[in-house]
Amino acid sequence: MLSDTTGSWTPVALSQDLPAGTVIPAYIVSGSIALWRSDSGRIAASADRCPHRGMRLSHGFVRGEAISCIYHGWSYAQSGHCLRIPAHPGLKPPETIRVATYVVEEADGVIWVAAGAPGSMPPGLDGFVPFRSLTVHAARAAIEDAAGATAGPEGLVDITSGAGNIRLLLSAQDGDRTLVHVLLVGEADAATRISASRTVESLRRTAEDRQEKAAAQ
Amino acid sequence: MKLYDYILSPSCYKVRLMASLTGVTLDLRPVDFHPGAEHRSAAMLALNPAGCIPILEDGDLLLTESAAMLAYLAAKAAPAWLAGEKPEEAARVQQWLAFSSRLTASLGGARLHEMLLRPGDIAVLQRQGIAALRELEAGLVEQGVRGMRFLASERPTIADIACFPYVALAPDGGVALDPYPAIRLWSRALRSLDGFIEMPGIHRLHELKPEPPIPTVEV
Repeated sequence: MLSDTTGSWTPVALSQDLPAGTVIPAYIVSGSIALWRSDSGRIAASADRCPHRGMRLSHGFVRGEAISCIYHGWSYAQSGHCLRIPAHPGLKPPETIRVATYVVEEADGVIWVAAGAPGSMPPGLDGFVPFRSLTVHAARAAIEDAAGATAGPEGLVDITSGAGNIRLLLSAQDGDRTLVHVLLVGEADAATRISASRTVESLRRTAEDRQEKAAAQ
Repeated sequence: MKLYDYILSPSCYKVRLMASLTGVTLDLRPVDFHPGAEHRSAAMLALNPAGCIPILEDGDLLLTESAAMLAYLAAKAAPAWLAGEKPEEAARVQQWLAFSSRLTASLGGARLHEMLLRPGDIAVLQRQGIAALRELEAGLVEQGVRGMRFLASERPTIADIACFPYVALAPDGGVALDPYPAIRLWSRALRSLDGFIEMPGIHRLHELKPEPPIPTVEV
């Protein structure tokens, strides 16, 4: 998994789940972030906290090339600088008002965020195509146990099932939770995709059962 | 058409939303649900022995189930919101209409517990709520594979309106919506519809309207 040290990449979301002009919440090892895509398609990541009153920016909205807080409408550029404070229309916001931002890369349909300055690009997907993401209330060990396979250094777990080859890309969240991105080989047809989705739902139930049993011991 | 209504009730909001989306004007009759418990008064029990709202009255038609109200509004004013001729579509509308009562019991129960201190096992309600959200998320993922953005079809139906309010208000019951990307996109699609209206806790998409002009003041 690449999320354990500052300066490495975390796969936070799939490109398909962040259309232009939207913001979503995401998680990296340093905490919650607001991940947003401007109307022109540029992605940015910032701390999920408006410096004004602490409201989550992921509850806000994207208009044009800026994100606005839902609470009082303060808006921020991709660089994190405050652009506008609606209650003070004549004020050019001082440089000191800004949100912390993170480096973002989008590759092969996965959005990666770095908490620092990583020395390399995010890893490729090796011909696999992202399908869906889901959160599992279990840590990596329970998921590996349920899958009957061990995750590689990049957080990839291969499982074979009737649904064909499924590759899971794991990303640790807070509180023994894991974000799982489901990747499928090439152009899977509809029946294969639906079957893969159901397979991973079952795997989640198994992993969570094992996590609960391990916690009870 | 008279709706016995409570502004904070997600089930009443279903009917107000459906009416707005289908262009029907409702005569709203506010009920003092909290703290007055007017829905359990003798006069209200005469209308609905189950002692709950919403209640919809139109002539001698008296409806006490919100799913029936959605069906009635759609049939009367905008049949495109009902299932089409495909058997799968008809089945999915019924499936999600029935499923919506599980959202009411779990997420709605957690919300009543947290907001109005209604007795209940909050941990169980939240766990059931998460299970229901996961089922909805998986259903929407599968619909996406079929090229459909909504629960029963490529267009929204009464099934979507039946499920939307309790889902959108899940955080009121302490159930986070962060882990559900397909639900987020579906919610966004519903909130983008012409005629969408808000309720407290469910706001419209501000970005759909241009930025309001602010007069510039020279300092």
